[in-house]
Amino acid sequence: MSNGNGTVLTKKDFRKCGWRWLLGSSTFNYGTQMATTVVFSEMKALRKIYPNDEDYKKSLKNAFKYFNATPPIAPLVLGATLAMEEKEGVEALDAVTELKVSLMGPISGIGDTIYWTLIPTVFGSIAAYMGMKGNPIGLLIYILANIFLFVTKFWFWDYGYRMGTKMISTLSGKLASFTEAASVLGLTVVGALIPTVISFTTSLTFTFNEISMSLQKDILDAIFPCLLPAVLTFVIYKLIKKKVGLTKIILGIIVFSLVAAALGIVG
Amino acid sequence: MSVIQIILITLVGFIQPIDDYGPQLFSENKIFYGALTGLLLGDLTTGLYIGAACHLMSLGVVAIGGSSVPNYNMAAIIGTAITVTTGQSVEVGIVIGSAVGMLGIQFEVLHHIVSGFIARKAEDFCDRGEFGKMQLMIPLSSIVLGCFIAIPVFIACAFGADAVNFVLDVLPTWFTTGLQVAGGLMPAVGMAMLLNFMPAKQYFGCLLVGFALATFAGWGIIPIAMVAGAWAFEKYKSISARNNYTIETGGMEDE
Repeated sequence: MSNGNGTVLTKKDFRKCGWRWLLGSSTFNYGTQMATTVVFSEMKALRKIYPNDEDYKKSLKNAFKYFNATPPIAPLVLGATLAMEEKEGVEALDAVTELKVSLMGPISGIGDTIYWTLIPTVFGSIAAYMGMKGNPIGLLIYILANIFLFVTKFWFWDYGYRMGTKMISTLSGKLASFTEAASVLGLTVVGALIPTVISFTTSLTFTFNEISMSLQKDILDAIFPCLLPAVLTFVIYKLIKKKVGLTKIILGIIVFSLVAAALGIVG
Repeated sequence: MSVIQIILITLVGFIQPIDDYGPQLFSENKIFYGALTGLLLGDLTTGLYIGAACHLMSLGVVAIGGSSVPNYNMAAIIGTAITVTTGQSVEVGIVIGSAVGMLGIQFEVLHHIVSGFIARKAEDFCDRGEFGKMQLMIPLSSIVLGCFIAIPVFIACAFGADAVNFVLDVLPTWFTTGLQVAGGLMPAVGMAMLLNFMPAKQYFGCLLVGFALATFAGWGIIPIAMVAGAWAFEKYKSISARNNYTIETGGMEDE
């Protein structure tokens, strides 16, 4: 059942995914970020791919893993992974994860720039300058742009799926090599994400008589910038390996942050 | 403010975060929220003006990768509500609005924590094969988000600016700073989870290369992904070639 299921997904399924994807990052949590929305949006489509409960559960558990990408264009990746699961079933799950991890960083780099910087700056400043003079025309244009971008989100599911189908036909029988190669891409991207998305600096300063040295600016930044995010990630990685619960880890981080802020060594 | 006005504005305060994080129809459009609030209170021009001012203030400070920045949508809503109903100057409205926006961030952090418990509960249902319950569990998180953000909006509308400043004063600095620091550290959990289900040990070198390019060379994520993509493609070709070779040699031994 897990292999060569043929084509089961239709345009209607992608519309369903699109509507469900509207939850976006409103379900955001610190552990797996947008993963629950991925589960919610794909669950109906996945049920069609996996009528068998065991395989369905396996696939859902895979979807529960960390995911975070600019919501409007993330369906490009998710559509592609649906195509992979449709063709290869649970055999594709490792490749699905690697593809998601390696693409979410780069597409968010593009997505955040377009959606959260370019559009608000271009349309927003026109609308703002007109609005300050009491003219709502600029705002109406901005709203039209908003609506257009909203509609494209639905297209991206189909588009991603078609790209995924094309990719999977070239990859047929080479999925293992693909997964291996995607690990190289994925881990390099994660390596780059660690210093980018984690903000962890210390305001600790040492004072020897007249001289004071800032641990962050004078020592860490000179020798090893972003050492703290790397160490933190490594510690949590080890804790997860040791089967420490996620809730404990997250509460631990909050307690650590509050104590460190009270002592004045962070922030 | 009349009771109906308070309810309407609180409702806007409830819907705003859900749209901002979810459908994102009016995400980042502070002018819209100012104008909408103004329209509901019968003064479109003031709402438009305050929304525009908040939008201009917000340009350049965008949340990337889940970091927290002042919630300027809230600032536009509250700023308009206060200015229109109390007849205060626009500047006073914007200052109060920004304060509420600051309070809003604390509630966003709290939501992301509560949301983690909801996510785990949903996954529990999945493990037990109760997919219907799992489906109901997930959107609960969005509703919690709306409620959380609506609280400071309600406080500001119902009890006025003094109440907001009171809350901000009562919250100790170590608590607000601590929460923001925690927000900055949290993505590490996600990264560590990724590393746990990827072959991190086997390809530790890739991790180092990505890290070094981002920190020491200061490269952005897109050039790094391009280099990594090229590397992955070569890897793919070499693995495929090796596999073909084994199959061919295997075939020859049979003959």
